[in-house]
Amino acid sequence: MRWLSKTRYKVGFLIPTCLVYVIFIIAPIAIAIGYSFTRYSGIGRARFIGLSNYVRLIHDPFFWKSGANTIIIFVVASVLLMILSFFIALLLNNKLRFIDLSKSLIFSPAIIAPIIVGIIWVYILDPKVGIINGLLKAIGLRGWAKQWIGGTVLSPYSIAIIYFWQQLGYLVTIFIAGLKMIPEEVLEAAQIDGATGWQRVRYVVIPMMRSTISTVAVLIITGIFKIFEIVQQTTGGGPNHLSETLVTYSYSMTFTSSDYGYGMSIASVTFLISLALTGLYFIFGRKGE
Amino acid sequence: MNRHNVVKTVAACLAGILSLGMLGACGNQGKDASGSTIIKFGIHVANPKKQEAVTYDIVQAFNKKHKGKYKVVFEASDKESHSKNMKLEASDGTLPQLFWIDASEAPEYSKSGALLDLRDFLKKNPSVAKAIAGGKDSFEDKQTGQYGLPYQSNVQGFFYNKGIIDKLGIPYPNDDTTYEQLMETLPKIKAGGYTPIAIGSKNSSYTMWEFNELLVRYGWQDNLKKIKAGKEQFNNPDFIKAFDKIEGLAKAGAFPENVSTIEYFDAKQQFNDGKAALFGSGQWDCAEFDSSLGDKVGFWWGPKFSDSSYDQNVSMRVPANPIVVNKAVGDDVAMKAGVYAFLKFYYGEEAAKMSYAKSTFPATNYPGLKATSSQYAMNEMLKALGKNWPSPASAPDLTLDAASQQALYDAIFGVIQGTYTPSAGLSKIDQAWKISHK
Repeated sequence: MRWLSKTRYKVGFLIPTCLVYVIFIIAPIAIAIGYSFTRYSGIGRARFIGLSNYVRLIHDPFFWKSGANTIIIFVVASVLLMILSFFIALLLNNKLRFIDLSKSLIFSPAIIAPIIVGIIWVYILDPKVGIINGLLKAIGLRGWAKQWIGGTVLSPYSIAIIYFWQQLGYLVTIFIAGLKMIPEEVLEAAQIDGATGWQRVRYVVIPMMRSTISTVAVLIITGIFKIFEIVQQTTGGGPNHLSETLVTYSYSMTFTSSDYGYGMSIASVTFLISLALTGLYFIFGRKGE
Repeated sequence: MNRHNVVKTVAACLAGILSLGMLGACGNQGKDASGSTIIKFGIHVANPKKQEAVTYDIVQAFNKKHKGKYKVVFEASDKESHSKNMKLEASDGTLPQLFWIDASEAPEYSKSGALLDLRDFLKKNPSVAKAIAGGKDSFEDKQTGQYGLPYQSNVQGFFYNKGIIDKLGIPYPNDDTTYEQLMETLPKIKAGGYTPIAIGSKNSSYTMWEFNELLVRYGWQDNLKKIKAGKEQFNNPDFIKAFDKIEGLAKAGAFPENVSTIEYFDAKQQFNDGKAALFGSGQWDCAEFDSSLGDKVGFWWGPKFSDSSYDQNVSMRVPANPIVVNKAVGDDVAMKAGVYAFLKFYYGEEAAKMSYAKSTFPATNYPGLKATSSQYAMNEMLKALGKNWPSPASAPDLTLDAASQQALYDAIFGVIQGTYTPSAGLSKIDQAWKISHK
């Protein structure tokens, strides 16, 4: 296999990958950023308008509302997902009864298409026909019945919960795979040395799973910035853009209002935020190593 | 022959067949196996047979009549996807020969040179021009010509359930019913356990047809002229009064509690199921209401307003969004003849009869066409149209560019859902208008 290490072969193998990456990843991003400096309705020619879209964005309350909603979803979903998926993985990594059934049940939402997830949760959270409010009213807790979706306050929290429900099983599976990589002897040695269960997790499992935790963190960050179908299906971004996330607001401006330039400026900012968060995570994560 | 040679021979034959097939396909571009010229018709619904049954029937009738010569095939997708697809296809020159397009987007297509000027077609078909009459004016531009023709004729307003109203013992709304009278009935309808006006905003903000009449009754056309001339803005006293009425209805509980989480189709289902007294829509729903409500369906233009100085005796029979023709059709003599033949048929008397048969008002006017006695909803509309009140040249929402149109929808639903005051909602339209007309 020595011949494969020759530079020309390495280049030969890299070229197709790089080409695909440039054509399908880099070029669309560059084109989107390019359009963000234009006024363009999607028809005819785009007109260069400099930074106008970005100036408009700063003064657009819906952009800030979408950003705030995205942050709420990010904080709620990432905290829940990171902590619970890890501990559920710890639990499911033991030899218990019905463990395979439990794994299947926890993983099952991950195989449902997001659009269907949205439909399911509409029937649960809808303020008028939803199961939760129906149940609360039936047991005499009418005052607890809230506008879980479609109102001006609770929608992003509800979306975070839905996203958590959908992603939990997937992330648990990744954590379980990470746990399986830890040699049994290491944990046994810690146990023999008198480490408690929590100490084994704190001083052995978590440090040894750093790369898995990094992978899960990146998946959560990038996933949350891509939440689209759940919002579209539960609230459609309404009422009046008040439950939009950055992605759905970008979509709404681009395709519903035919304001491609402005929509692309929102998409570009979203991309940069997502990139910055992932980058920051890697920088601080490596410092920890 | 050894195995290797057999494989080589088979491979060579297959390659030859494929190449011939490809050459054949090149030779028959735009034609089907029978030699018919294929005319693609881009339409805004995913299932034309079910969702645009009239157009589907007309196309089938045309195909039957011109078998072996022309064949119209649909390029169908839901409204939002259709709009995106047309823009993408316009950018790479693969637009279908003719397609439905939102009126707010059509001028942009026209200015970009993507559409064929249909004055030539109208000149060659004076009977069609006469039948469409003023309906085509909304899609004419001084510079680019007749860039589109109305898809249908839209009659918009409130449908109401006579069964519910009879049960509650309140009078049917009529041509003289005022806003105040409507407000008086709301508590009675609610007390009866019904939703007064079914409406949903989720992914359906364009479903505000019942408010077009209200906007006209507060001087939409006059104000829009002034706005276009830079002498007025949307946030003006007339429109504030109009939006105040929407706010009044919302505060009185006229709309469903979950308006923000239900779609147009959910709201319509409430009306179909007899859970709502009124529903804002248009003639496209007539056939459905014939089967769900039968002779219990009524139609009303909406309330009159005593604080408006504008004419209250107006109806809302307006041209629907246009169908337009790809400019490239003009360069292909055979295709142009096919598209012209289809348009002639589509706007002809036979197609108009087919439209009436399915309770749809065509874009054309041919004397003597009427609904049958079992077309209850359409007959109610015809009764309302019988007073011959004037209609605006175009529905108010179709007179705006895409961004301002969306802002109008957002403003109306924002007021309904209590997230905007009337003035704040109108200011949003002003902002969108300013950005679009910079």
